[in-house]
Amino acid sequence: MTTQTETPTTPAPGSTAEEKIQQLRDLFADAPEIGKRALENVLGELTSQVAEPRYRVESAGRVGVRLGNVSELTMIFPFAPGGAKRLRAFLQLLNGNLDGANKVGSLHDMRFVFLDNDTKLLFCTAFDGEWDPYIDDFATKIPDYLDILDCALEGWPGIRSPEAKDYLASHQINAEGWYVAHPDLTVAEITRLKRVGAAADEFLDKVSE
Amino acid sequence: MQLVDRLGELPRSPVTIELDDIQATVLRYRPEPYYGTHVMLHVDDARAGREFVRRLTPHVDSAAGWWGAGQAWTSIAISYSGLVALGLPQDSLDSFPEAFRVGMAERADRLRDHGLNDPRNWEHPFGTGQIHIGVSVFSDSEDTWRDALQTARQQYEGFAGVTVLMTQDFGAQPGDLNPLGYKDSIGQPAIEGCGVDSLPGQGRPIKAGEFILGYPGEAGVPLPMPRPDALGRNGTYAGLRKYQSRVATFNRFLREHAETEPERELLAAKLVGRWRSGAPLTLAPVDDDPALGADPHRNNDFTYAADPHGRQVPLGSHMRRMNPRDTTMAQLADVNVHRIIRRSTTYGAPYDPAATSERDDEVARGLYFIFLSAKAMATLEFLQQEWVNNGNFMNLGDERDPNIGLQEEGATFTIPRKPVRRRIHGIETFNVLRGGEYFFMPSLSALRWIANSGER
Repeated sequence: MTTQTETPTTPAPGSTAEEKIQQLRDLFADAPEIGKRALENVLGELTSQVAEPRYRVESAGRVGVRLGNVSELTMIFPFAPGGAKRLRAFLQLLNGNLDGANKVGSLHDMRFVFLDNDTKLLFCTAFDGEWDPYIDDFATKIPDYLDILDCALEGWPGIRSPEAKDYLASHQINAEGWYVAHPDLTVAEITRLKRVGAAADEFLDKVSE
Repeated sequence: MQLVDRLGELPRSPVTIELDDIQATVLRYRPEPYYGTHVMLHVDDARAGREFVRRLTPHVDSAAGWWGAGQAWTSIAISYSGLVALGLPQDSLDSFPEAFRVGMAERADRLRDHGLNDPRNWEHPFGTGQIHIGVSVFSDSEDTWRDALQTARQQYEGFAGVTVLMTQDFGAQPGDLNPLGYKDSIGQPAIEGCGVDSLPGQGRPIKAGEFILGYPGEAGVPLPMPRPDALGRNGTYAGLRKYQSRVATFNRFLREHAETEPERELLAAKLVGRWRSGAPLTLAPVDDDPALGADPHRNNDFTYAADPHGRQVPLGSHMRRMNPRDTTMAQLADVNVHRIIRRSTTYGAPYDPAATSERDDEVARGLYFIFLSAKAMATLEFLQQEWVNNGNFMNLGDERDPNIGLQEEGATFTIPRKPVRRRIHGIETFNVLRGGEYFFMPSLSALRWIANSGER
């Protein structure tokens, strides 16, 4: 399921900031007056942000976008019959707390949201790098957890199946906008910096005694 | 020398894979000493190409009794454009994975082959799609190598429809050392059902399906395989990467960052995880132990249990990156699904410890690195992205593999020490990629199937 659509009014890739601004002004011509005024108020600031981004939004591999080291993953799946109930019961057993995902080592956050009267699942995560290189590892290291979660989904082939990557990728939707506070910091790097910070504090405590 | 002669009594286990149908190169270890030649061929005419495959196949050795085999052997592998040129049925062609079909050069982004390693800088004919068939001869003596090569040559020389694009001799290096002066190709994965149990330090045998098509892999199911089974089963994929070794850049790095000869040798060992003799730093942390390096019973027999922080073998060293063994990694990973069989072959001038000039960097000298796996393309992409050109999995940020990584301006290499680590700034790219290809290495019965495929 791919839902990103390119309308004829979307600026072509590679168009200049001026062209994009002109396009935006054209589209805002029909916008409510408050929207038009707001756009003019911030256009100056926006132009400089666009001209000098801290990081560029890049592809996160097959699907998804990445800022620095951190990628977004957004997926919408139809539930299999009974799947929503099973998944909710499993998540409730954990009291909705997915702290066990810590052992994957590359996940910044993760959420499961049930949509449209429990007929669809929205799954979102922010993670380091690309996800599909590690699918083989998940299939041998944590296959049961993935199959418990994903057997709730219509058509899930099983994590050990060679089709698993294609199945997941076909349900992924690119985010149109993406923000990360520290695009250079992976989960591993954050953990390391916390350790370095604690050691530095200990050192400073000692020299200041 | 045969593996049994090198190791004496081998730990045997039952054979559960069809060794007599699998090509010898898949299981036979590189001989000691080793001599050989890689020949790259172009198929001008499908019928002639198939006839060449038919003529060569009886001279391609199987892996039967591989542990005791000592004579020269010949292998054959075919690229995707080669399979097309040989006129394979479209349904078969379509059944190969995408990365194989488009070829290594086309996957440069996924492989992080940028800058110096960019396919635009590769040597002809790599990356052009012109390489259709690779024939390799391996041997443990100069005479048997020449005989086997002569036999292979008779099948294509003066044979209209098949053209030789390049011929590259390899091996015959003093002490079998690689172009940077190290003993190499020490640790290989143990493979279940191949007839030999794990050698000391190899870890548990890995499911055969990770290396040979048609058998269950580590996840318990066979990996996807080309159609029909007669073509795919007992075959595997081979990747080839041609590296030019910048020996002078490497020597200057050692001189700039270590003052005395022993310090330089220790630094050289820290980059790789082994002394040049092959002795691992886990077992010889302070001084080289050439006897240990030369002893195949002991030189790979270790874990990292007593070295979790990398004070012996740095977390970022080449050996530890390529096979982290029992290292606790920052990201969930299964070391057994990213292993490759390596048949590394050194070509050109031997390592020269006195080389320091820019000209020395371009003296023809390097590696034809060959790796085999039932998912060679996916594994190479994983390794290049995650374990070679990245350091995150070992808590090393952006640091890269000191041996085969592509280093960026100001790159660092961390050597864990007590009380504080040493971080070396300005490590450079020591091995530059100059070419690469993916090949399918069919079983012997699949070679006959290919030879006959025009008749269907």
